[in-house]
Amino acid sequence: MTAHMHLTRRGFLATGAALSFVIGASGLASISRAATTATQADITGWVTITTEGEVHILFPSTEMGQGSSTALPLILAEEMDADWDRVTVEQLDTDDRSFGNPLFGNVLYTAGSTGVSGYFDTLRQAGAQVRAVLIREAAKAWDVPAAEVSTLAGTVRHDPTGRVLSYGGVAALPDLDVTVPERSQADLKRPEDYRLIGQDHPRIDIPAKSTGTETYAIDITVPGMVFAAVACTPFDGVGPERIDDAAARTVLGVRDVIVLPEGVAVIADHIEAAFRAKETLDVTWGTPDPWWTMDSDATLDAYAAALDDPGIDRATWRENGDAATSIAAADRTVTAEYRSDYAYHAQIEPMAAVASVDADGLGAEAWVGTQTQSWSTRTMTETLGTTPDRVRLNVMTMGGSFGRRTALDQEYLRDALLLSKTVGLPVKLVWTREDDVQNGAFRPAAVQRLRAGLTAEGTLQGWEHRVAAPSVISYFNPLRWSQVAPNDIISMRGSESPFYDLPDMHAEHVITPTHARLAPWRGIGASYTSFAAEAFMDELAAEAGRDPLDFRMDLLQHNPRGVALLRRVSEMSDWDGARPDTALGLSFAGYGSSMAAGVAEVALDRDRGIITVPRFWAAVDAGLVVAPDNARNQIEGGIVFGVSSSLKERITMTGGRVDQSNYYDYEILRAHEVPEITLDLAQGTTPPTGIGEAGTPMVAAAIANGFHALTGKRLRHLPFTPDRVLEALEN
Amino acid sequence: MIRLSVNQTEIEFAAAPDTPLLWALRDHMGLTGTKFGCGAGQCGACTVHVDGIATFSCLTPVSAVEGAEVTTIEGLSEDGSHPLQQAWIAEQVPQCGYCQSGQIMKAAELLDFNPNPTRDDIADHMSTNLCRCGTYTRIFNAVERAAKEV
Repeated sequence: MTAHMHLTRRGFLATGAALSFVIGASGLASISRAATTATQADITGWVTITTEGEVHILFPSTEMGQGSSTALPLILAEEMDADWDRVTVEQLDTDDRSFGNPLFGNVLYTAGSTGVSGYFDTLRQAGAQVRAVLIREAAKAWDVPAAEVSTLAGTVRHDPTGRVLSYGGVAALPDLDVTVPERSQADLKRPEDYRLIGQDHPRIDIPAKSTGTETYAIDITVPGMVFAAVACTPFDGVGPERIDDAAARTVLGVRDVIVLPEGVAVIADHIEAAFRAKETLDVTWGTPDPWWTMDSDATLDAYAAALDDPGIDRATWRENGDAATSIAAADRTVTAEYRSDYAYHAQIEPMAAVASVDADGLGAEAWVGTQTQSWSTRTMTETLGTTPDRVRLNVMTMGGSFGRRTALDQEYLRDALLLSKTVGLPVKLVWTREDDVQNGAFRPAAVQRLRAGLTAEGTLQGWEHRVAAPSVISYFNPLRWSQVAPNDIISMRGSESPFYDLPDMHAEHVITPTHARLAPWRGIGASYTSFAAEAFMDELAAEAGRDPLDFRMDLLQHNPRGVALLRRVSEMSDWDGARPDTALGLSFAGYGSSMAAGVAEVALDRDRGIITVPRFWAAVDAGLVVAPDNARNQIEGGIVFGVSSSLKERITMTGGRVDQSNYYDYEILRAHEVPEITLDLAQGTTPPTGIGEAGTPMVAAAIANGFHALTGKRLRHLPFTPDRVLEALEN
Repeated sequence: MIRLSVNQTEIEFAAAPDTPLLWALRDHMGLTGTKFGCGAGQCGACTVHVDGIATFSCLTPVSAVEGAEVTTIEGLSEDGSHPLQQAWIAEQVPQCGYCQSGQIMKAAELLDFNPNPTRDDIADHMSTNLCRCGTYTRIFNAVERAAKEV
């Protein structure tokens, strides 16, 4: 077990001077020598080495369970050759873009499985430069050539004489040269020399999470704090018109009832009083725009109609060759439509935020779980009409998130700030589960049409994938939309079908109107586009009279890694073997450039229409894997998430109001329903491509295809609830 | 005044008798290892022991546990040394970690009554507790590991 048991915040250095390294997106930017009286808060570097040899590494992402708070510092520690047992990881709490994710234009944004892949080069280069400085300074002190000096686990050594100096000893040298060395690819370690990357080092956050001592936003207590519950508007952008709060004000412990832009808040001495009083509020809401009051079934029908409506905006997501001509010239044409419902994040920690606004109303401290320091800071400055130097953000470990806490405007944080400003006290705002479901921001509903040609020999000729779905980005981050429109990766990812040879293909976004609050959701677009694409691939194989695996193999002639995954999962699952009561379904998807081949074993209760998945086999290639054991945990979790959402998860709306309210009517997979998962995770030599979402997108089609193998029937509407299963069996 | 025995300590505080035990623990006593997830006995994040029985503290009024012994994750062991906690670390179970206090308390009940559970026993017993990160398989592995060591 290591010394750095959990994520810390910057505080006072115990003693002594320290060497601090500032690193920008392109590598090491400056080196400074802190005075003996410096506090760590004065030091803005990625890496600080104390004279005692402690190494403090900044964690620029945020932790929602994905394990980046271990994996990212590990990469830097590897290249600087730090002693991992002397490393302390510190959470970045500010919107300092010099630490931003290069994949998001240096916005501090933890999403899209980009932590390791986005920071990999920066962290390695920076670590290598830190190591070069340590070698240079030790060599100078010893008056020996730098080429004779090496490092190992926190020490510098002069091999010919056997002299050794700890990194702390270097930091304490009297005459340090703080010029930045040239970056050099040659300074990077060879992968075969890695002793941290690719090894199973325990996650730094697990001891606290196994003893109940991890602190989430909902756990924060500030002296003098009061509690807030909020009755939130059912309709976006609509506030209260009339409020009857007489009953709420009589609840013991209630202090006040306060009107918010999109809600009504109860302030109380205890959260249970606030919750109880909130239930008694009688609020008449303003009139929403008509598109916010749609039934979800009507929305799906409207999206289906949009596929043929020339008046709806369209954006080509990917185009190769000429799909339409190729399909027209084919021997046979196959078309199918797939639907998917809204889906909810269902993270177990409901939205919560603590805010303490300064007396002048222009500054604040806040504690909140967030996937983005940048947009939480922006929410604070916009809400208070102030500047970033006046806000003090505490980025908290999240009780799950899966995309929920990514928005440009974070209403739970905004409301906590407004309430604290109004009552002049620190406020802890907590949503109930019902609030969290009904004010959820969902994976969009979508209707997809796939069309492809088959040759007389039964091979694919031309591929069209149309996705009728709203733009998620335009809803949850209009600022980003102004930069990327009309290309919406959140709505469309996966439909590019990147792993197959598709010489004539066209993937198109039919950009439908937004009828619900939307957010990224684990796997983003791929959670439904890969369902449609891989279920359709299975339909094509059947139409061609081919084995689904062989049919896909024909399309992978330029993708040997993909071929290897399909072969592997075929062996693991005994794809060709006979089974008495169950059947297998294959899917080949993944996320971004991470490839995942999956086989689901499907069992069916035909009377009740209940599908179960007793076993799931997966073979995954995500390039170099930094933290293999955690990667396996993430992919297994992603598969469970996929099974859960494929079989159970469905948000519906009546008159624009969410019909579900808690885990009893938005059920997620439970322990006794979880498949036995067998996972083969390749350890690659190519750069890492992301783990957190790679397990999810393949799952839905694998189940649908297994259902077809078992029953001869197709499931084309996600999720595969018993009513839909029974309907499919009857048709 | 409400008098409770929590983690073998007698505590007295002012609260309405129907205050959920969950909020008494978290906000009146500062024992935040027990989590709020659903308020409806659906997710199990609030699981504590009442006289050794795993109980949804979100549905339990404090008046119902006066005179009983309440144990939370903070009272399971003084220093995180309970075999289940050690097994959770050894198997690297948690991801977000939010449900895990409840999972560990639920698993502790199982091992108290059934020191050698089968895999099916574990899955059935743990089916009251949701994990959105999907760590169920590792939870099973950790319970099996702890069972071998108890």
